[in-house]
Amino acid sequence: MHTFSCVSYCIISLILEIKWQGVWFVTGTFDYDLVVIGGGSGGLACSKEGKCLSTKWGIGGTCVNVGCIPKKLMHQAALLGTALKDAQKYGWQVPGPISHDWRTMAEAVQNHIRSLNWGHRVQLQDKKVTYLNMKGRLVDEHTVQGLSKTGKETTLTAKNIVIATGGRPKYPTHVPGAIEHSITSDDIFWLKESPGKTLVVGASYVALECAGFLTGLGLDTTVMVRSVPLRGFDQQMAGLVTDYMEAYGTKFCWKSVPKRVAKLSCGKLQVTWTDRQTGQDQQDSFDSVLWAIGRAPETKTLNLEKVGIKLNKESGKILVGADESTSVPNIYAFGDIGEGRPELTPTAIKAGKLLARRLTGQSSELMNYDNVATTVFTPLEYGCVGLSEEEAESRHGKDSIEVYHAFYKPLEFTVAERDGSHCYIKVVCERGGDQRILGLHFTGPNAGEVTQGFAMGFRCGATMNHLKETVGIHPTCAEELTKVNISKRSGLDPTVTGC
Amino acid sequence: MQWILSGDPPIRPNNCLWCCVCFLVMAMIQFSRTQTSLFSLLRLLSPFYRHKVSRRSMASDAATRFDFLVIGGGSGGLAGARRAAELGATATVIESHKLGGTCVNVGCVPKKVMWNTAVHAEFLHDHSDYGFDIGNVQFNWETIKAKRDAYVSRLNHIYRNNLDKTYNNKRKAKIETIQGHARFTNDPEPTVEVNGKKYTAPHILIATGGYPSLLSDNDVPGANHGITSDGFFELESLPKRSVIVGAGYIAVEMAGILSTLGSKTSVICRQTGVLRNFDAFISTNCTKELQNSGIELWKNTQVKSVSKKDNGLLEVTLVTKDQEKKNDEEKINTIQEVDCLLWAIGREPNTSGLNLSQVGVDIDERGFIIVDEFQNTTRKGIYAVGDVCGKALLTPVAIAAGRKLAHRLFEGKKDAKVDYSNIPSVVFSHPPIGSVGLTEEEAIKSRGKENVKSYKKSFTPMYHAITTRKTQCIMKMVCVGKEEKVVGLHMQGIGCDEMLQGFAVAIKMGATKADFDNTIAIHPTSSEEFVTMR
Repeated sequence: MHTFSCVSYCIISLILEIKWQGVWFVTGTFDYDLVVIGGGSGGLACSKEGKCLSTKWGIGGTCVNVGCIPKKLMHQAALLGTALKDAQKYGWQVPGPISHDWRTMAEAVQNHIRSLNWGHRVQLQDKKVTYLNMKGRLVDEHTVQGLSKTGKETTLTAKNIVIATGGRPKYPTHVPGAIEHSITSDDIFWLKESPGKTLVVGASYVALECAGFLTGLGLDTTVMVRSVPLRGFDQQMAGLVTDYMEAYGTKFCWKSVPKRVAKLSCGKLQVTWTDRQTGQDQQDSFDSVLWAIGRAPETKTLNLEKVGIKLNKESGKILVGADESTSVPNIYAFGDIGEGRPELTPTAIKAGKLLARRLTGQSSELMNYDNVATTVFTPLEYGCVGLSEEEAESRHGKDSIEVYHAFYKPLEFTVAERDGSHCYIKVVCERGGDQRILGLHFTGPNAGEVTQGFAMGFRCGATMNHLKETVGIHPTCAEELTKVNISKRSGLDPTVTGC
Repeated sequence: MQWILSGDPPIRPNNCLWCCVCFLVMAMIQFSRTQTSLFSLLRLLSPFYRHKVSRRSMASDAATRFDFLVIGGGSGGLAGARRAAELGATATVIESHKLGGTCVNVGCVPKKVMWNTAVHAEFLHDHSDYGFDIGNVQFNWETIKAKRDAYVSRLNHIYRNNLDKTYNNKRKAKIETIQGHARFTNDPEPTVEVNGKKYTAPHILIATGGYPSLLSDNDVPGANHGITSDGFFELESLPKRSVIVGAGYIAVEMAGILSTLGSKTSVICRQTGVLRNFDAFISTNCTKELQNSGIELWKNTQVKSVSKKDNGLLEVTLVTKDQEKKNDEEKINTIQEVDCLLWAIGREPNTSGLNLSQVGVDIDERGFIIVDEFQNTTRKGIYAVGDVCGKALLTPVAIAAGRKLAHRLFEGKKDAKVDYSNIPSVVFSHPPIGSVGLTEEEAIKSRGKENVKSYKKSFTPMYHAITTRKTQCIMKMVCVGKEEKVVGLHMQGIGCDEMLQGFAVAIKMGATKADFDNTIAIHPTSSEEFVTMR
C-alpha cells in the first residue's frame, strides 16, 4: 500500500498528519492510492506513505528553501541591526562603526535550511514514505511519469493524483536585460556575497520584505513601485508599512516602471525606468536587481492541459472547486497552484491535511479559505485577519461599518527615541448589533505573535465587546487591541496616551 | 508639593520604606446633620446650582462636596475618576505622591524599560551569529537610569494633562487634583480630610494601592540594610553582587534584569523553585531557565541575618534546610560583598493612616480591604479597587474595576463589574512567561482528573536557528470536558509576552481545542504552535 508524492514546495513539521488506514484501500490495478506531485508544505501534509520527487530545491518547497524560513531569519538579522542602534540609547556603548557580514549570515541561514531538508528526508523515511527526487509529469489521469536528474524515467499509476507544485517568482517579459542580469527571491537567500546596492522591483509583500531586510542590513536599497504597495491589503496599513520603511532608510521610486537593464563594463547594472507621472526616463546603477512582481504557477512541464485539467488562461493556475477538485474527477490541486487560493504555507498545509482526510473517507470537512490571518514581515511588521477597510466598505456599505482605531507608541520605542507614528491598530466591525469584528489590523513589533491569538478570537466570532471585556496585559503592544475605543466616525484623536 | 515632602531625600540608603509611606493617601468626612439634609435637598436641584453651592460650602469646617471622591491617583483611581467625569460626575482625585501610582513610578513601566535594556544584552550575544561585527560593548547604568526617570516624569505629566482635559461634559469642569494625604474623619457621613480641609461625596473610592513588604530587624537582624523593588528603581549604578530574596514574579523579574545586565545574582527561595503558584510546567521551566542563565539559586533557604561591613558591603547569612527531610541538618552559608540585597517577599496594602476602622471599612487579616464583586466595601458609599483589595494585583484589572464602578454609579449600569476569571498576565522573565486561566493542578482540583486533558509542546524558537545561545519555548494548554474547553494556557519563551493577549480573548469567549485546531497558523511564528498542537 503506497502513495506517492513528487516534491516541489514547503514545510514538513506537519508531514504525515493523517493516519492512512491502509486496509481501506483497494488499489486494484493501480500502483498507488494516491500520488502527490509536489513536496512542499501542502504536498507533504497531504501525503502519508509515498514517494517524493524533488525539483530545484531540497524537500520542503518554497517555504523552507526560498520563502518563509530564510526570509524570517534575514528579517530577524535586520531587526538585530535596528536593535544595535536602540541598544546605545539603552546605555549600551557599542564601539562603531557597525558592520554586517553577509557571508556569515547567509552561510548560517543556508546551513539551517540544509538541516531542515535533511530532517524532512529522515522524517519521510521514518514514515515509510518513498522519496523520489524527480520531476513529475502527467501522462493520463491515472499515470505519472517521473524524470530524474540523470534522465531516468519512472512510471507510476494511481487512483487519485494531487498536484501541489506551488509557484515561482516571475520575470518581466518586456524588459530587455531583466532575465540575464537580475535575480528573484529564489536567488537572494542563496547569494554567497552581499547583493550590494539593490533595486527591488515590485511592491508585493515579497518585495517589501526583501527590501526591508536589505535596508536593515545596511544596504542601499530602492523599491520601484508601479501602482500601489501591498495590493489586496488594507491600503491605509500598507501606507504605514511603506512610510515606516522610508523613515528607516528604504528609498522608493513611486509610479515608475522599469524599461531596461544593462550590464556596465564595471559590472554594475544600469537600470532605466520611466516615471509614469512625468513621463520622463531616469537612470541609476545598482549591484543587484531583484524582481518581485508576482509569482507564476509551476505547471508548464506537468502536461496538465493534455489530460484535460482546466487552467485560468491569464494566471496559468489550475481552476479548483471548494473540495480542491480540478476538471478531471480524480485529480486534485491545492496550495499556490490553485486559482484564487492564498499563497500561504499554513493554508496549503491545512488544505492538504483536509484533502487527505476526505480522500480517505475520514471526514467530509472542507477547507475554509475565508479570513485567513497573515503577517507581513516588513521592518514594521503588519498582521491582519479578515477584511480590509475598503473591502468591508464595499461589501457592507460605509454606513454599516464602524472602524475603531488607535495610534500607539510601543514602550520599547520610547527610550530608544524611535518614531512610533506608524504603529497603528484598526478594528473594522459591523456598526449595528454586537459589532461583530470584520477585520483586524495591527502594525508594530512582533505583529506575527500578536495576531495569531486574535485571529483565533476572530474565528470564534469575536465582537468589539469581547475585545473590551478582556483584561489587557500590561505593558505590551498587544494590549492596545483590547483598549481601542475611538471610532473614525467620531473624528476624535486616536492617539493613545498614558497606560 | 506634598509629594516632594513625602518623597523626602533619602535619609538612609534603604529609602524604600519612605516610598511606601509616600503612597499612603488618607481621607475624612465631616458633616453636621443639618448640613446633610441641606445637601440632600440641594442634590435634587440642577447640577449647575448644586455645583455653585458646593463651591460656596468650601468655607471653614464645611466639607467641599463632589459626586465622586477618589483617594489615590494610580491606575485604578485615575481610570475611575476620568470615566466618572466623562459620565457627568464631578470627580476629584487625592494623591500624596506622583500621579500614576505603582505602575508608572515603581512598577510595570520602569520595570519593562529595564527588561528591554536587559533584552539588548541577550541580543548582543547573538549579533555575531547573525553577521554583525561588534567590538567590546560596555554598559552604562547611569544612561538608562536617567532616560527611564525622564520617561516616568513625562508620564506623570501626561497623567496630569489627561486629568485636566477630561472635562465633565455637563459642567465643563475638569477633574480636580488634591495633593496630600487623605484621612477619614469621624463625621457621620463619610468625609475625608486633606491638609486640614474636608471633602465629601456620596461615592468615595479608595484606590491607594500597595507597597513591597520589608522584614523588620526583629524578624531578620540587619533586614533593614536591604531594599525592595521600590529601591531598585533608585539604584544609581549596577550592583556587582545582588541577592534577591523571594520566589514570586517580582523576584524573578528583578533577578533576571540584574543578572542579564551583568550583576552576579543569587535568588534565595524558601522552597525548591520559583513561581510556585504558576502551573508546575512553568514553575519548573522558569527555575531551570533562571539557573541556565547563570543565576545562583538557593533552594530551601532563608536569610538568617544581614550585617554591614566596614567597606559598606553586606554579608548575608543564609540557613538552608530541606523541609521534606526531617533529619536534614541546617546548613549555614554566607554571601559576601553584597551591594544589593533586595526583598521581594510580597506586597502590602496602603491602608494605615486612612483611619478605615473609623468609617467601618473592614479589612482582612493581611490588611487588604474587603470588597464584594461590585467593589463595595462594608461601608455604604465607600468602594475600593486595585492592589489595596489584594486580588489580582495588576494595572489593567484596577483600571477595569475603576471604570466598571464609574459606569455602575454614574450611568446606572447596575450589573457593571469585573470578571476576575481568565485574567491574562505576563512575567517579564528571560524568556518571558504568559499565563491565563487555570493551572492544570487547579483544573484537576475543580473538575476531576478524568475530565482534564493537557497538551504540551516544547521547541527551540526559529530565532535561535542560527544562534549559539539557545532558549526554549514551552507551551501548555489545559482543557476540560468532552468538548475540550480550554480553561488554561501557559507559556514561556521568546515572544510569549505579545502572544498571549489574543488567545486570552478567545479563551474568554469559551474557545475549545477544536477552535484552536480550526485556526490557520501564521507562519513562521512561535504562536502558531498553539494552533497546531496535538
